[in-house]
Amino acid sequence: MGDLFEEFEHKWGMVIDQDLCTGCQACVIACAMENNSPFVGEKDAGYGRSLQWIRIERFWEGQFPNVKATPFQPVMCQQCGYAPCEPVCPVFASVHSEAQQINVQVYNRCVGTRYCANNCPYQVRVFNFRDYERPEPLPNQLNPSVTVRRRGIMEKCTFCVQRIVVGEDLAKSENRQVIEGEVVPACAQVCPTEAIVFGRLDDPKSQVSQLSRSGRGVKLLEELGKLPSVTYLKGGSSYGRNG
Amino acid sequence: MAVTAETLEHAHLEDHEDPRQHLMLDPKPRGEMNALVMESMHATSWKFWVVAAILALVVAVCLFGAWGYMISEGLVLSGVNRPTYWGIFLVNTVFWIGISHAGTFVSALLRVFKAEFRRPFTRAAELMTGFGLVQAGLSIFMHMGRVWITYWMVPYPNERGLWPNFHSPLSWDFLAINTYLLSSTMYLFLPLIPDLAMARDRSTGWRKIFYRLLALGFRGTEGEWTHLRIAMNIFAFAILPVMFSVHTIVAWDFAAASRPGWSSTIFGPYFVVGALQSGIAAVAMVLVVIRSTMKNMKYFIRAEHFDALGKLMLVVSMAWAYFFFNDYTVQWYGGDKFTRVLLHFHEAGPLGWMWFGMLISNVAIPWLLLWNKKIRRNPGLLFIIGLFINVGMWIERYIIIPISLTINREPFTWRLYKPGIEIVLGIGTLAFFILLYMIASRLLPLVPVWEVQEGQLAHGLRRVGKATVTSVSELE
Amino acid sequence: MPETKTLLALFKDIDPAAEAIDRLRGMGIGDDQMNIISGIPVTERMLGRPRQWSNVPRLAMGGAVAGLLIGLFLAFGTPSLYTIHVGGQSIFPGPPTVVVLFEMTMLGMLVSTFLGVFLDSYLPSYRPKEYVPEISDGNIAILFTCPVDAEPSFIEAMTSLGAQSVHPTEVGQL
Repeated sequence: MGDLFEEFEHKWGMVIDQDLCTGCQACVIACAMENNSPFVGEKDAGYGRSLQWIRIERFWEGQFPNVKATPFQPVMCQQCGYAPCEPVCPVFASVHSEAQQINVQVYNRCVGTRYCANNCPYQVRVFNFRDYERPEPLPNQLNPSVTVRRRGIMEKCTFCVQRIVVGEDLAKSENRQVIEGEVVPACAQVCPTEAIVFGRLDDPKSQVSQLSRSGRGVKLLEELGKLPSVTYLKGGSSYGRNG
Repeated sequence: MAVTAETLEHAHLEDHEDPRQHLMLDPKPRGEMNALVMESMHATSWKFWVVAAILALVVAVCLFGAWGYMISEGLVLSGVNRPTYWGIFLVNTVFWIGISHAGTFVSALLRVFKAEFRRPFTRAAELMTGFGLVQAGLSIFMHMGRVWITYWMVPYPNERGLWPNFHSPLSWDFLAINTYLLSSTMYLFLPLIPDLAMARDRSTGWRKIFYRLLALGFRGTEGEWTHLRIAMNIFAFAILPVMFSVHTIVAWDFAAASRPGWSSTIFGPYFVVGALQSGIAAVAMVLVVIRSTMKNMKYFIRAEHFDALGKLMLVVSMAWAYFFFNDYTVQWYGGDKFTRVLLHFHEAGPLGWMWFGMLISNVAIPWLLLWNKKIRRNPGLLFIIGLFINVGMWIERYIIIPISLTINREPFTWRLYKPGIEIVLGIGTLAFFILLYMIASRLLPLVPVWEVQEGQLAHGLRRVGKATVTSVSELE
Repeated sequence: MPETKTLLALFKDIDPAAEAIDRLRGMGIGDDQMNIISGIPVTERMLGRPRQWSNVPRLAMGGAVAGLLIGLFLAFGTPSLYTIHVGGQSIFPGPPTVVVLFEMTMLGMLVSTFLGVFLDSYLPSYRPKEYVPEISDGNIAILFTCPVDAEPSFIEAMTSLGAQSVHPTEVGQL
C-alpha cells in the first residue's frame, strides 16, 4: 500500500557545543514549555520520574578539594538511525519517520510496556506515571501544536517536530527549500551561548552539517552503532568555533 | 471401606524392602481407588473454608482492589522509575511462568521418558501450569501503562491499518504464552475426561450435573480411548518444544535488549533451566501440602515420589549452576566496563546479600542436602528445600530485572529501585494461585486414577536369579 | 428378519474378556457387531480386536499446515500490507519470522489434535447411550447384538467364561 509509505524529505540533526554550554538549564525549561511537559513535583522528580525531555549531565573529576569540573552534557533523544527503541515496541508506537529521519513516538498508540525505555542506550525516554495536575491558570500556557499526554504513555524529545513540520509545509507551499535557521527547536532557540545548533544534515552546506564534521565532534556511545543524529563538540577552549 | 495406607515412618529402606511401599506394586481394585479419590474431593473440613475465606479476602483486597486503585491512579504507586522501568511485576511474571513449566515437565517430559513415578501427580502438576499462567498473565497486565488497550497486541484486522509489531519480543511473548496456555489447558483436559466420567458415575446432585456436562458423554469405547491415547502422545511430544520456546522467548525479552548484563546469548537456555528448577521445586511443595491436607492422598503420593523429585531437583540445580557460571564467567572475563561494573554491583552493591542468598538457596542447599536419600524422602524437609529454591529463583529474577537495570551506559541516570504497591499485588497473585488450586481440588479428581490403574497393571514382580525385581510392561 | 437383541457382558479382567470375544466370534457374532467399553485403555491387540483407525494424526498434520499458513500471513502478509519501518531492520526480519511461524504451527497442530479427538469420537454428545457405571470402576463391558432366540445360550456362554453379569442393555442418560 504505497500511500502509507513516506518519502524521504530531509535529515534533521543537531550539534551541541559542550565548550559553550554553561549548564544554565534554559533549554530544559524551554523544552518543557514548548512541549507541554507537566510538573511532577519534587518527590517524584527525586525518585527519577521527572518528565524532562532533555537533561544536563554534570560530572566532575577528582576528590574534594582537588575537584575539576568537566563540560556540561545536555542529553536528549539522539534520534538514532537504527533506533533500538523502535523494533521492541509491540504495538508500533515508536516508529521511524522516513520523511524527517527521526524517531517518532505515537502517543495514542502507546500501551505503556516501557520496553522502548529499557532498550534506549541513552536513557532519554520518560514515562507518565500519573495524570499531572495543571492548576489554573497554567492551562493557558499550553502549546496548542503539541498533544497533552495522559498517564501510561512514554514520551521523549521530538526535535520539536511540530516546528519542523510547520517549516517544511511553509517551504513546500512557497515552492522552495527550507531556509537555514527557519526551523529552530525550543532548546536551540533559548540557548544564550548558541551551544545548540539545529538544521538539515542532508544539506552539506548547512551550519549543522559543517559543525558535525568538525575535528572536535564525537557522538555518544558511537560504538553501539545506533547512528545518533546528535554530534557533541568538545575539546577545550583552545579549539573554539573555528577549530 | 477401611483404607489403610502404609505410613512412611515404617517403610524399610533395605535391599529386601517390601515392594508394596511402591504405589505401582501396591494395587487396589479400581473401584476402591475411585472411592478414595472421590472421598478426598468431598471431605472438606471447616479449616478448608477458613483458609479459603481468608485467601478470598486477600485476593479481593490485595489483588483486585489494589489493582483497580493502581489503574485509576497510574503506575506512580509502583516502584518503577528511570532507569528501572521494569520491576517486581516483571519479576513475578517470569516467576509464575517458571512455576508453570512444572506441569508440562511432569506430564509431558516424564511421559516421553516413560518415568512411571509420574503417574499419580500429573494432574496436580498440570493444574499448577494453568493457574501459574493465570498469575503470570495478571502480572503482565499489571505492569502496563494503559492496560485497557492491551488488546492492541492481538493480531486482528482493524480499520487503523495496524497489526502488532512482530519484531518485538513482547509480541513473540504474546503468541508463545497464549499458545502454551491453550495447549496446557487442552493437555490438562484430555486425560481428565475419563476421570470426569468416573466422577459422573459416582456423583449425585449438582456435582452429577457438573461432571456430566464436562465429561462430554465419554464412555470408554475403543474408539474414544484410541483417539484419546493418540492425542495424548501427540501432545506429550509436541508440547515440549512449546514449553522450551515459551521461556526462551521470555528470556529474549531481556537478551534482545542491548543492556549491559542483559545482552547475553545464554539467557535462553539459562531461563529454561531456571524455570524447570523452580517448577520442580514447586511441584514438590504442592505435593507435600496435598498429601498432608487431603484425605487418602497418602496412598497415592509416597516417599518414592519425593525421592524422585528430590533427585530431579538436585540434577536441575546443577544444570542451573552450570548456566549461571557460564553467564557470569564470560561477562566477568571479557565484558565491557559497564558489564563489569554491573557484576560488581550484583555482588557488592547495597543488595549484594540477595546475590549471595540466591547462590545459597539455589546451589548450596540442594547440593548439600539432596544427595541424602533420607532427606529426599522426608516430605517436610523437601518442602523447606523447595521453598528455599523458589525464593532463590525469585531473587535471581529480581537481580536480573530491577538490579541489572540500575546500571546502564549513562551513569548520570543510575538509581535504585524501591518496590511500591507491587509487593501487595504479588501477595495477591500468590493468594489467588492457592485459592484457585483449593477450589480445583474440590471440583476435579486430583489423581488420574485410570493412569494409576494402567501403571499398576503394567508393573509386576519377577525373579532374576535369586532376586525379586520390578518389571514394567509396555501396554500401549 | 430375525429379531436381535443387544446384550452387555461385564468382565473384571482382560484375559476372560479376550476369551469371551473369541467365543462370541466363534458363535457367529461379527467384529462390527461388538463394542468394547472399558475403564482403562485396553488395546485392540490385547483383546484380539481389529485395529482401530483414527483421524487424529492426519488432523494434527492438517492443523499444523493451517497454523503455518496463519503464521505466514502474520509474518509476511501484515508487513507487506501495512509497512512500517522500525530500527533499521528489514520489514521481513529473519529470527522474528521463525518465532512467529513456529508458534502458530504448534498452536495449529495442538488445537486441531484436541478438536480431532472430539470430532472422531462424536463428542460431546449428551443423548442417552448404552452404558453401565461399573465400567468406570475398571471393568470391561462387551456389547454385542445376538438373535433373540439364541439369547440364553449367549448368556450361558458368557457366564461360563467368568462374566460378572450379562443382561440386555438399557439405553440411558449417562
